[in-house]
Amino acid sequence: MISQERLDKVLLKVEKPARYIGHEQNIYTKEKSDVKATFAFAFPDIYDVGMSHLGLHILYNLLNEENDIYCERVFTPWVDMEEQMRDNNIPLYSLESKTPIKEFDFVGFTLQYEMSYTNILSMIDLSDIPLETVDRGEDDPFIIAGGPCAYNPEPLADIIDFFVIGESEETILKVMRKYIEGKENGLSRKEFLESIVNIDGIYVPSFYKVDYNEDNTIKETIPLKEEYPIKIKKVIQKNLDDTYFPKKMIIPYIETVHDRVILEIFRGCTRGCRFCQAGMIYRPVRERSVDSLISLAKELIEVTGHEEISLSSLSTSDYSQLETLVTSLISEFKDKKIGLSLPSLRLDSFSLEMIQEIQKVRKTGLTFAPEAGTQRLRDVINKGINEEDLITSVRDAFGMGWSTVKLYFMIGLPTETEEDLYGIKDLAYKVKEEFFNLPREKMKGSLKITTSASCFVPKAFTPFQWYPQDTIEEFKEKQDYLKSIIKDRKITYNTHDAKVSFLEAVFARGDRKVSQVLIEAYKNGAKFDGWRDQFKYDVWMDAFEKLEIDPHFYANRQREYEEILPWDFIDIGVTKQFLIKENEKAQKGELTPNCQVSCSGCGITKDFKGGIC
Amino acid sequence: MAKLRVKFKKDSLIRYISHLDLMRLFQRAFRRANIPVEYSQGYNPQPKFSLATALALGLTSEGEYMDIEVVEEISTEEFTRKMNEVLPEGVKILKANYTEDSKSLMALIKWSSYIIELELLEGTSKEKVLENISDYLKQDEILITKQKKKKGRIVTREVNIREGIENIELLLLEENKLILKTLLKTGSNGNLKPEILIETLHREGLNINNEEYKIHRLELFTEIDGKKVAPI
Repeated sequence: MISQERLDKVLLKVEKPARYIGHEQNIYTKEKSDVKATFAFAFPDIYDVGMSHLGLHILYNLLNEENDIYCERVFTPWVDMEEQMRDNNIPLYSLESKTPIKEFDFVGFTLQYEMSYTNILSMIDLSDIPLETVDRGEDDPFIIAGGPCAYNPEPLADIIDFFVIGESEETILKVMRKYIEGKENGLSRKEFLESIVNIDGIYVPSFYKVDYNEDNTIKETIPLKEEYPIKIKKVIQKNLDDTYFPKKMIIPYIETVHDRVILEIFRGCTRGCRFCQAGMIYRPVRERSVDSLISLAKELIEVTGHEEISLSSLSTSDYSQLETLVTSLISEFKDKKIGLSLPSLRLDSFSLEMIQEIQKVRKTGLTFAPEAGTQRLRDVINKGINEEDLITSVRDAFGMGWSTVKLYFMIGLPTETEEDLYGIKDLAYKVKEEFFNLPREKMKGSLKITTSASCFVPKAFTPFQWYPQDTIEEFKEKQDYLKSIIKDRKITYNTHDAKVSFLEAVFARGDRKVSQVLIEAYKNGAKFDGWRDQFKYDVWMDAFEKLEIDPHFYANRQREYEEILPWDFIDIGVTKQFLIKENEKAQKGELTPNCQVSCSGCGITKDFKGGIC
Repeated sequence: MAKLRVKFKKDSLIRYISHLDLMRLFQRAFRRANIPVEYSQGYNPQPKFSLATALALGLTSEGEYMDIEVVEEISTEEFTRKMNEVLPEGVKILKANYTEDSKSLMALIKWSSYIIELELLEGTSKEKVLENISDYLKQDEILITKQKKKKGRIVTREVNIREGIENIELLLLEENKLILKTLLKTGSNGNLKPEILIETLHREGLNINNEEYKIHRLELFTEIDGKKVAPI
């Protein structure tokens, strides 16, 4: 245990020291001697970001409700704290009991975005645990990982001992039970891994060998033993009402990114946007009932005292009982001055009454995501909305007193032309016109339109997984073009760093060879790559060069349908044939209807029953 | 509507929490304790309460104050009990009274008393420390340089902090540990941070570690007919 006196010496030298003190309300405190397994839930970013993540709160409480398991939390220390820790020989420690991470049985990382991968290395390193699986010994913890990015686990194959693919509520408990059993029977590290390798959703990269073709594409993935599974099937929770949801949540002392109660209303999405990985990997759609959501909301507000409830899902408007839910939440909490935020509202089913209802209590910002500038391109990506819908919604919103609007777009989408880029500007200007078309007395506040255009990153398990990403130069040209045509005081134009998106593309579709690039870049100072002021592009390029690995092979190469992709061995339920069909339809600008309208035969109903689709 | 004047403490790990985060902590605590706090009007209603002064991050205190406007009167005992049930370890309501005072706490506060624990760098006798302190206090002027940014330029000016120091008492001197008690000006009509007192004591010859120390606020005072009295 790291003593408080040791920490006191450094805490006043760092920004926001409360990130590192633990002791928040609603944490679990257990004696190590009372438990049989310890688990460090590791979020590879700073506390402020990690504490906003719903998955942390779910797994933390789920594991801790087991009497013989102790789950604690750890986040990436910000650079100032890392420096203090290194200078004072303080190893990375858990927030609850201040135990060095090296002493845990498991360190479980959640993979939310590729650009956090070097933070995983930084945390392993600060814990004094070997960076690579092969170097870890019997006394080291198991380094495990799950979350959306685990659907292509290969870039972390040399670093992570095993992955949990899919929704991990049940899998993680099975693993912990096996571990406790194995510990009593004195199983070795390898024997334990063998004891869990056949649990659905478990992937142990070191149990497989990958052979490559001469052109560096994958020839074959070979299990080292016959009993190791060839396909790894994702796991889902079939019924969300029966699925664990925490009755309490830790209350952070400092302001976090999402400082509110998060209610998960459903998983999955029926829209089928062709660029969206979440829309494919989280299928099928499964909803929580209004009754259970209301009672959860009551309990969570009571134990946290938060002033806002946020409904979490991929596309809030698609919740079948949304109106009932919102009305009930508002009548329940209005008098307590608790606000409601509905992120991810689709503009086509944007409901006027609902917004008005929310506005009665607290007004939150408005974000629209047309994603592309023209109808043609929106059809290509299957974003089934049209300009009229958007304009109508914006007009209504302005009429009700809003004056701040954010518009999200992507550049570099398949088949994009200059016309599509111009369409981004065009749409932003049309939104502006709507504001000034209002009668003077209805214009409230000062109009502010923020237009953000991010660089498209093709992801695994999407219809665009074969597609080459634009080069950094192409992105820059497009960004410059947009900058030159969007010239209005009322409209702010934001871009994303194309270099970051390029690296994201490498690791989103990388194979296990890029593991070593991560390690090399980390050793030369790469970390917090998702933070603009910390990102060191040159360090990455040096690492690729030194290891003779071509990043463009992963980011900018057109793949053939026949190619074995690094993530092909994972079964998400949606078939490759469906993804191919969707990609073909994209090229022709053909729409695929929402699954609620008609089934497009993606394959999910075959093995994963329980969805409403 | 009524106004509650409340005294509380902030110590142990809560000293690592900033003033703004403490405000948020109270907001949540009011809600969890079901305190009928008055809210402001408008689209973003905020609970009406205000803290007397901002205690700097890192300092502990047993003499912090706030005013809370409540919609209906609840007994002060009930308020204290309910709040202390939901507050985290390290923040505790010590006293609560209803007040008719229309002035804000912020305007009332004139002085703070602090206990400062310092590390003496070389073995110094008690006499020497006392002499240092009395020499320090004998001065009419203790100047520090303050920097301000004005229209992009940095403007420096000299400020005399002597008036901000009412007294310095030596409470304990044991080996290299030195504990002082001091009364310093606080509030909108002149404010002296204890850190500056430590810095100038060090500059004027007191041989102390001026980087690591502990500061604890004991009490806040207002002035009534020239006398210093606590707000409740």
